[in-house]
Amino acid sequence: MSSDSDKETIEKKPEESKPAETKTPEKPAVAKPAEEKPAASKPAPAKEEPELPAFEKGIADKIIEKFGEKTTISFVKPDRVGIKVGRDDIHDVAEFARDTLNYDHVDSVAGVDYPTDKEIEVVYHLSSYTDPTLSRQVLELATRAQREEDPIPGNDATKLPSLRDIFYSVEFHEREVFEMLGVYFEGHPDNRRLLLPEDWADLPPLRKDFRNKGR
Amino acid sequence: MSVIAPNFKLSEFVKSILDNIFWILLILTLIGLPAIQFILFYIEMPVINGELLTPFLALTWLADPSRSIPILKAFMATDLFRIAAFPGFGFAALIAAGTIFVERKMLAKLQLRVGPFYCGKVEGILQLMGDGLKLISKEIIIPAKADKPIFWAAPVLFVATAAAFVALIPVAPGWVVADLDVGLLAVFAVIGFFPIITILSAWSANSKFPFIGGIRALYQMVSFEIPLILSLLGVVILTGTLNLSEITASQSSFPWIIFLPIGAIVFFITMLAELERIPFDLPEAESEIVAGWLTEFSGMMYGLVQLGTYLKLYSFAALFVVLFLGGWNGPMIWPPFPEEIITEGIELGPVTAQFPGLPLFSQEMLNGTVWFVLKTVGVIFFILLPRGVFPRIRVDMLLDLGWKKLIGLAFVNIFIALGLLYAGILGPGGIL
Amino acid sequence: MSSPTLPPGLAIQKADERIMTLNVGPQHPGSGHMRIIVQIDGDYIVACDPDPGYVHRGEEKMAEYRNYTLNVPHLERPVIHDSCNILYPYVLAAEELLGLEIPERAKYIRVIASELNRCIYTQYWLAIYGIFLGHSTMFMWPAGDRELLIDLMEKMTGARVTHSYFIPGGIRNDLPANFEDVCLRQVNYFEKRIKEYADVFYNNPILISRTENTGVLTRENAIKLGTTGSVLRASGVDYDVRKKEPYDVYDELDFETNVMKSGDSYARSRIPWLDMMESCRIIRDALQKMPKSGSVRVKLKPNPKGEIGSVYKRIESGRGALGCYIVSDKKVEPYRVKLSVPSFRNLIALPHLLIGEKLGNMPSVYWSLNYWPVEADR
Repeated sequence: MSSDSDKETIEKKPEESKPAETKTPEKPAVAKPAEEKPAASKPAPAKEEPELPAFEKGIADKIIEKFGEKTTISFVKPDRVGIKVGRDDIHDVAEFARDTLNYDHVDSVAGVDYPTDKEIEVVYHLSSYTDPTLSRQVLELATRAQREEDPIPGNDATKLPSLRDIFYSVEFHEREVFEMLGVYFEGHPDNRRLLLPEDWADLPPLRKDFRNKGR
Repeated sequence: MSVIAPNFKLSEFVKSILDNIFWILLILTLIGLPAIQFILFYIEMPVINGELLTPFLALTWLADPSRSIPILKAFMATDLFRIAAFPGFGFAALIAAGTIFVERKMLAKLQLRVGPFYCGKVEGILQLMGDGLKLISKEIIIPAKADKPIFWAAPVLFVATAAAFVALIPVAPGWVVADLDVGLLAVFAVIGFFPIITILSAWSANSKFPFIGGIRALYQMVSFEIPLILSLLGVVILTGTLNLSEITASQSSFPWIIFLPIGAIVFFITMLAELERIPFDLPEAESEIVAGWLTEFSGMMYGLVQLGTYLKLYSFAALFVVLFLGGWNGPMIWPPFPEEIITEGIELGPVTAQFPGLPLFSQEMLNGTVWFVLKTVGVIFFILLPRGVFPRIRVDMLLDLGWKKLIGLAFVNIFIALGLLYAGILGPGGIL
Repeated sequence: MSSPTLPPGLAIQKADERIMTLNVGPQHPGSGHMRIIVQIDGDYIVACDPDPGYVHRGEEKMAEYRNYTLNVPHLERPVIHDSCNILYPYVLAAEELLGLEIPERAKYIRVIASELNRCIYTQYWLAIYGIFLGHSTMFMWPAGDRELLIDLMEKMTGARVTHSYFIPGGIRNDLPANFEDVCLRQVNYFEKRIKEYADVFYNNPILISRTENTGVLTRENAIKLGTTGSVLRASGVDYDVRKKEPYDVYDELDFETNVMKSGDSYARSRIPWLDMMESCRIIRDALQKMPKSGSVRVKLKPNPKGEIGSVYKRIESGRGALGCYIVSDKKVEPYRVKLSVPSFRNLIALPHLLIGEKLGNMPSVYWSLNYWPVEADR
């Protein structure tokens, strides 16, 4: 029974997936954080629909209390808090998260390309080793950089302030985001290539307009 | 574990040996003998004693022991035989080949695997030959910017120096290539050549990893030569001679290791370092500097260095035996040569074969050789063993060990020897 | 430490040419699929620049073209020795996005498979650690004992290394008949075997004198650099995702986390070995508590679509915390898949540890970081 359903999946995949891909540019890809806020508690809430988890709500409230309008809460789920910050305030919010909220390192830095919004989102996953109450928690700090159609990595408007002076652990992650999405991090001491070959002259490969060959 | 090695069966083992013998005989008779006959047919034969040396006559000579044994004995008395065959190069190379085979099998057993298994049917006995053929048939690559003459010369020099070391080892009473009065000094002189060859080859390769390896080898060998020499001084003090044969003869009643165990331990450790064996294989440390000073060698150049290394291993083990374990001395276990063969010959039906000039070797010599080989193999076993047990040590720890601990211990050993000498217990004119 | 009051090494030519640059890798027996550019002055490393990327395969980009089920076989490729664990966060995240609740038995089987895989990976890692230190017996023993567990995984999943066992919705197939007894027997024997490594390796005086007090990562630096897994726990930080944020059924199982204070190469090499014994304990416990029958997977619709939103899940792999971040836009394929791999996170510690060390310590410090080059490159 299981193998049958797998086969179906494989066979059906090409017909369904191709139109979906071609549609990507036209359709707004991912819900913007503003809309996401009500929708955010949808995936988890099978159990706890009405009220948000208290501890996580407390973290989100502290940030909102400090920065007010500059930040938006994109979601509050069990153990996960998502905060969206403008590019000018990301440095301050990160500093606040480190000094007051006791987040001490960055798990991962993910870059997501949104061609329809003409923006590239960079998501920092903050976590804590030292504070036992935060050991389950991950704070998603998202910020967006302007996206250029013809990128010249490092020399165009796609720039963000680097968080390396706050969280030392982002050093290699930011280098990776720079080469994979072309987001230049101002203040990063070592903005060199990391994974890609030195002679890579194509688009940054994780942008949506870089197509895999044959797909 | 999955079964790679089938279970041992005596019948299969015997069968495989018989198989090999069968094929050797078959090839010899079908190809070897016709080839000899064919060649003999075409070469011009000399005239000896007014008789033309025909192939037939030559074969008769070969088959007639009364004619061939004197020739053999005359050949064995020459220096060429001593250098090339018995106490010299051939004997040492044979032991070195055995060492390589034993090392691989023993290490495999230690690490729960089988080691060489298929080549040669009997426990992979021909693996070494296969490896040798592979090395010979490989291309020799020389780095473009290498200093070519020196780079070429280094492996040859290495083997030559190792063979010179072999020449100084007395195997049995009277059986030594070079019986020098300053034998031990000559040994030190020969050992002193190895770092020079190493650094020359490392420098001439003009490459970074060999360079680091060569420098390490230089540090290691130079810093371990001093405890090496000091640890042997105790033996020299007690025997009052530098001649290796006389040192061996002086141990007829007891080996020096009984009185100088500290010197033996120091010598054993420095020996491991001089041989670049684990835990002291820093000049060839694979994970740090690829293969150290051997990185740029390829094909038979590498093979020559390996041959030299194992000759060196045999020589050091033999030196240990000569200086501390009593060399050829040991109870007589070799049976005396049956007298009736000399006096009456062997009767084969109607024919009686006479063997004038037998035995080829004296009983003392054979007995001494047996004891010498047994002891040497034992020492070689202990040289091989650390490879399966210890990790590699670091260069600063190595130098610390060499310059501080071993030299101190070597001096303790010298004082013990001097104490024994002045107390009149041992040494020239001692009680024992 | 880094500015060297060095003993006068062998100056090659002039004073400013004392420094020699070595390319350790990518074709070097002591590097793996990466390059470490080290500069040495005499025997001391004065600069170090890790250069990964020789096996970058664009797994994250490939994941944007395949649906949630088809992503399973290729996402495990970065660490085929730990293939269950690298799939684990992806599968957990995909299940949350697809709104799946998996059966209890599948959770236990996942834990067993994950722990077996952790042992398989650690054995491989330990084998290479042994040969990096020149200890060939320690290369052969773990590599041989690893076969036991690989055979077990083969019985369980049908494949020796690339299992593709975890799928969104549970696991691919149920356990074979009589698996519990075989597993228990093999694991007990395996635990007996790995305890013997102490005699030949961990208590070896040369090993201890070589690796103690080399490459010391202090507690503060370990936190600052965001290291994870055995590197972090060797520096005295008690953080294990299995304990702190239990996923599946880890909160019902009985195990400890191993922490050492010293933060040197020796501690970093010892922690994974101790972890293997805990893994054996977890497996025995899970075999006991596991429901003996029941479904092991939820039937998936063909081409399921994920909820709009993003999910970040993490698990503890053989090397450390492994995170997976999936952004979904209500399509058949995920919009973005990001693997936050422990090897990449620990790599940042390498220059910090190597500078000021001797060249002979490079292999032991490098490999004690529990670094797997292919995983770091993805």
